[in-house]
Amino acid sequence: MSALITAKDLSFRYDKSERRLLDRVNLAVNAGEAVAVVGLSGVGKSTLCYCLSGIIPHVYQGELEGEVLLDGMPVKAMSLPQIATKLGIVFQNPDHQLFSFTVEDELAFGPENLCLPREEIDARITSALEKVGLAHLRLANPQQLSGGQRQLVALAAVLCLQPSVLIFDEAMSQLDSDGKKRIKEMILRLKAEGKAIVMIEHEPENLEVADRVLLLAEGKLVPFAGVLPEATEG
Amino acid sequence: MGTRMSLDPRTKLYLVLCLSTLGVAVTDLRLLLVILAAAAVAVKAAAGSILNLLGKLKRFIFLFLIIVVIQSVFTRGGTAVLRLGQINIITDTGLVRGVQTLLRFLIVLVAAALMATAKPRDIIQGLIQLRIPPELAFMVTMAIRFLPLLRDEAVDMLTAIQLRGVNLKKIPLLRRLKMYSYLLAPLLISVLLKARDLSLAMEMRAFRAFPRRTSLRTLYLQPADYLVMAMATVFAVAVAASAILLS
Ligand SMILES: Nc1ncnc2c1ncn2[C@@H]1O[C@H](COP(=O)(O)OP(=O)(O)OP(=O)(O)O)[C@@H](O)[C@H]1O
Ligand SMILES: [Mg+2]
Repeated sequence: MSALITAKDLSFRYDKSERRLLDRVNLAVNAGEAVAVVGLSGVGKSTLCYCLSGIIPHVYQGELEGEVLLDGMPVKAMSLPQIATKLGIVFQNPDHQLFSFTVEDELAFGPENLCLPREEIDARITSALEKVGLAHLRLANPQQLSGGQRQLVALAAVLCLQPSVLIFDEAMSQLDSDGKKRIKEMILRLKAEGKAIVMIEHEPENLEVADRVLLLAEGKLVPFAGVLPEATEG
Repeated sequence: MGTRMSLDPRTKLYLVLCLSTLGVAVTDLRLLLVILAAAAVAVKAAAGSILNLLGKLKRFIFLFLIIVVIQSVFTRGGTAVLRLGQINIITDTGLVRGVQTLLRFLIVLVAAALMATAKPRDIIQGLIQLRIPPELAFMVTMAIRFLPLLRDEAVDMLTAIQLRGVNLKKIPLLRRLKMYSYLLAPLLISVLLKARDLSLAMEMRAFRAFPRRTSLRTLYLQPADYLVMAMATVFAVAVAASAILLS
């Protein structure tokens, strides 16, 4: 089986920094598989997400080597809108991802950008909202929802573009236990639907939904042994 | 239909443009009063009540007095209504100019209140349908959406300072200004970080995939909209004609 997303000897250093955050990283995630990545703060987990999703090199630049293949195509050669139809990313802070006046508008944003016809946009919104269990909040103001609900809105907005790969960059870190539970349930459902999932996490109890757990340390991605090397920090 | 008339935001925009253009161009006090009355009627129809608006306008009474005095002291001519020694404090021309300025102010404010009766999301959709570039439309969205949050954040920071036992009211003005400037930096940084993240989130949802976008919702002008726009046009022409005749 060929992986939906693959990193091949991926190395990266930000322009203004000495440190090589990623040092020949290899990763392959199959359909229906969830891979969790753990690591200390500042070790480069978000940077890895940026590389996988093409934000590096399309938005942020630096010294990039190796390549990332999305569905067999190098992300370097794809445009961000092209990438967006294959890969969706949910960030840490829901307030930094939502900008519309209603949940419906928020979800419509992506499909509208793709110039889809109205009926299709409407159908995608309905299906995404049902999936995350927020159909009753379609006309609500995102700012008035709970953190967990807002993060589900962010996920639903990404799902409206029907990506096959999903990246969660500490998407649960600002949520209460109920919010965490709902996102974890979603990850399990998306896995069952055959999506490839990469999740950045540092809370052990969130790792249970992952099939594999990897540790990012000193630029290398290695199987996670169960303890973060926190002692070295201080 | 209830007491509120739901007009298309584009109709409201047209009304605002008509009223404020007239308000700025016309000088005759009676005509200015007519325009103000028309603006008030429009707000009453759109918002259901103007009590809320009147409350907000109370603040401008002081401004009005200042304008009258300034115009009286600095404009030559006119008969003095109130004199203090050699100086005319209030003259009849000053009074007329003051009333004129006040009426203009009120017209623009009331017209703006008309725009505030439209839902932000409809205003944006209206702008988009007026063929404003999507980038610009989303910038307006962000401004409407995040400026109030920014204010809240600033208030939170001030509260945090006061909770540490600093009584802002007792600090001399200069030092207080300095204190505000310390708050500005973290506030600006948080805004910039948020803007950066938001644009990233938008790009990762295919923003600018094509020069155009489709739209889930479309606004359609209703017969009432055409009627109101026609009425506004007739009104504007009539007021302009009277202004020319009266001058
Ligand atoms: N755009 C950038 N330009 C330069 N340096 C950056 C940039 N973004 C991040 N860095 C630096 O790269 C390092 C890794 O950052 P990154 O955000 O990838 O870490 P992280 O593992 O996600 O940390 P956290 O757990 O705090 O989210 C940090 O030292 C950070 O300061
Ligand atoms: Mg991070």
